[in-house]
Amino acid sequence: MIRRRMLAAMATAVAIALPVSACGSGEEPAANGPVTLSVSVWSLASTPEFQVLFDAFTKANPDITIKPVDILAADYPTKVTTMLASGDQTDVITMKNVIEYARYASRGQLLDITAAAKSDTAKKLGGLDAFKQEGDKYYALPYRQDFWVLYYNKKLLEAAGQAFPTNLTWDQYVELAKKLTTGSGQSKVYGTYHHTWRSVTQAISAAQTGGDQLSGDYKFFADQYRAALALQEAGATLDFGTAVTQKTGYASMFETQKTAMMPMGTWFIAKVLSEKQKGTTNVDWAIAPMPQRPGSSKITTFGSPTAFAVNKNAKHSAAAKKFVEFASGPEGAKALAAIGIVPAYSSDEILKQYFALTGMPTDEMSKKAFTPDKVNLEMPVSDKTSKIDTILNEEHQLIMAKQKSVEDGIKSMETRVKNEVS
Amino acid sequence: MAQQKWRNTLVGWSFILPNFLGFVIISLVPMIAAFGLSFMEWDSFNAPEWVGLDNFERLLRDESTKIALWNTTLYALGHVPLTMLAALGLALLLNRRLAGLGFFRAAAFFPYITSLVAVAVVWNMLFNPEFGPVNQFLHFIGIDNPPGWTTSTTWAMPAVILTSVWRDMGYYMVLFLAGLQSIPREYYEASKVDGATGWQRFLFVTLPGLRPVTFLVLILLTVQSFKVFDLIVVMTDGGPGRATLVLSQQIYRQGIIEGEFGYASAISFVLFLLVLVLTLIQFWFNNRRERS
Repeated sequence: MIRRRMLAAMATAVAIALPVSACGSGEEPAANGPVTLSVSVWSLASTPEFQVLFDAFTKANPDITIKPVDILAADYPTKVTTMLASGDQTDVITMKNVIEYARYASRGQLLDITAAAKSDTAKKLGGLDAFKQEGDKYYALPYRQDFWVLYYNKKLLEAAGQAFPTNLTWDQYVELAKKLTTGSGQSKVYGTYHHTWRSVTQAISAAQTGGDQLSGDYKFFADQYRAALALQEAGATLDFGTAVTQKTGYASMFETQKTAMMPMGTWFIAKVLSEKQKGTTNVDWAIAPMPQRPGSSKITTFGSPTAFAVNKNAKHSAAAKKFVEFASGPEGAKALAAIGIVPAYSSDEILKQYFALTGMPTDEMSKKAFTPDKVNLEMPVSDKTSKIDTILNEEHQLIMAKQKSVEDGIKSMETRVKNEVS
Repeated sequence: MAQQKWRNTLVGWSFILPNFLGFVIISLVPMIAAFGLSFMEWDSFNAPEWVGLDNFERLLRDESTKIALWNTTLYALGHVPLTMLAALGLALLLNRRLAGLGFFRAAAFFPYITSLVAVAVVWNMLFNPEFGPVNQFLHFIGIDNPPGWTTSTTWAMPAVILTSVWRDMGYYMVLFLAGLQSIPREYYEASKVDGATGWQRFLFVTLPGLRPVTFLVLILLTVQSFKVFDLIVVMTDGGPGRATLVLSQQIYRQGIIEGEFGYASAISFVLFLLVLVLTLIQFWFNNRRERS
């Protein structure tokens, strides 16, 4: 009942706020003079990229100060949805994922910045396509572009007498993981760790088979599920059920050297670098390309960009636009690369700077892993995305926890998407 | 005289007013708004659109909502009687002279004041199929194939129910304890003189004496069971699959996450009706028994 009341309370709050928002988008004063720009961010203290960008930007624009609006990472999408609905005037809104972005853009809550997205600088932005909306319009510019690679622990591989992974196929990867598994009980070291997210299995198989996760036809998941279950069966990865019930953190699995390999996004690089600097881990690591399907000569992986957008109700939209362009451009990229974040803006210079960071692996394979041939969007964007996402996630749990066979799980994904998503 | 009466009424109202005003603004108006919304389609940004009974029709077709309704009912069927039994049992145990009574009472109440997130996380670990103490104990006493608990579609709901019973029993124990202490000693003495056994005293003195409290506990528990949310979100998040998806979680997903406030309101309205009808039935039963 409380839930229902809360909903209703929000509804009225929004209803009251609507007329306010209507007059909130007034013309801003001339862009000169000191401006305080508000930017919505998540978990500021543990997400250093924001502060780095703010510092670089205010240094370049001394008349603008930035006031971050800090929101807990887990609540971020919900909170921003409510903020925008109530006509909030925060100037810059960070787009944590593309799905939410599409929703805000289609509701007309973001400012059109197509012109900036068509500039020469923007041509070098990885993941920009994900922000293209109906009518070739853009409402956000990506500043970082993460994609998935295979992390490995050099010491554990050496100890097992195995060569460092290069261009593995999935079968070779499974075999390698089995060989790398040692010990038992508390001292067990797993060959690899698959986190509980559905993307670990589903997004990668969509990217590499060309399958479409919105299509309602999911037979292309089958091979990937068989590989994942084979790993689990052999005890070469932490059991899905255990990972869920223990709320296992992927970072700690790798940092405490409980796993020899781990497919994960590039956002983890900055985390490992900073943990090593703090001395909380001494893992000796490098990256390799994600394992591929047999016979493929190119490196295909998946990823998702993170972007800044300008709120339609922004108080200082000119300054906000300036910030968005700065963050996604070369200067922003430089600041981001300096702390191990993968910027969306790519150039040889940035890449060089990135690999020159202390603690970064310097081998050729790591560099190759860092420049994949193709990065597919983790989940295609449409108005049906979030519903399909829920279904695929529920069935993923059932397959991985062995409550359903791969065939049955895929079949019920197909029937559920057909029946429940209209 | 009439004026005096009118004055008294006004004075009475003025005393209730502050609380009533809060209720109207925070509860009543939003409740009515939600009822209205259940006939509309609203994404919280654009103007709501009247869709008549569409939301309710969709509700009948929506498999997830039906599963959630069924799961919520299952949860209530397990949670209500088990918590009542456990709470009453504890209250009877702790309603006697006993060394360290205060300690044991506090111990029984402790789960209730423990942070729910901590409770859910720790129980999840206890229920871990491989390394969890629960299954290790079951192995120890000779059960070869203990359940998978929160990783199994069959056992996830029992696991959640057990956890919530453990958490809630202390609170209702306190209510029962208060009830027990309000039963006049003389009744027990008289029945003893008449030669009633301990079981008979429980059946014919304690239970009837506790009726008002039992009724209160029953209503509170039923309402609480049907709106269960937090424990399930932290412990299983409705999983595995949809094995523990409950109504309030479905409302949250449809409303806050999907932004379909109309449909979410329709589900809330059904939940409201459900709880209302159950409460009315309980009242009706209680009244009938009171008269007989």
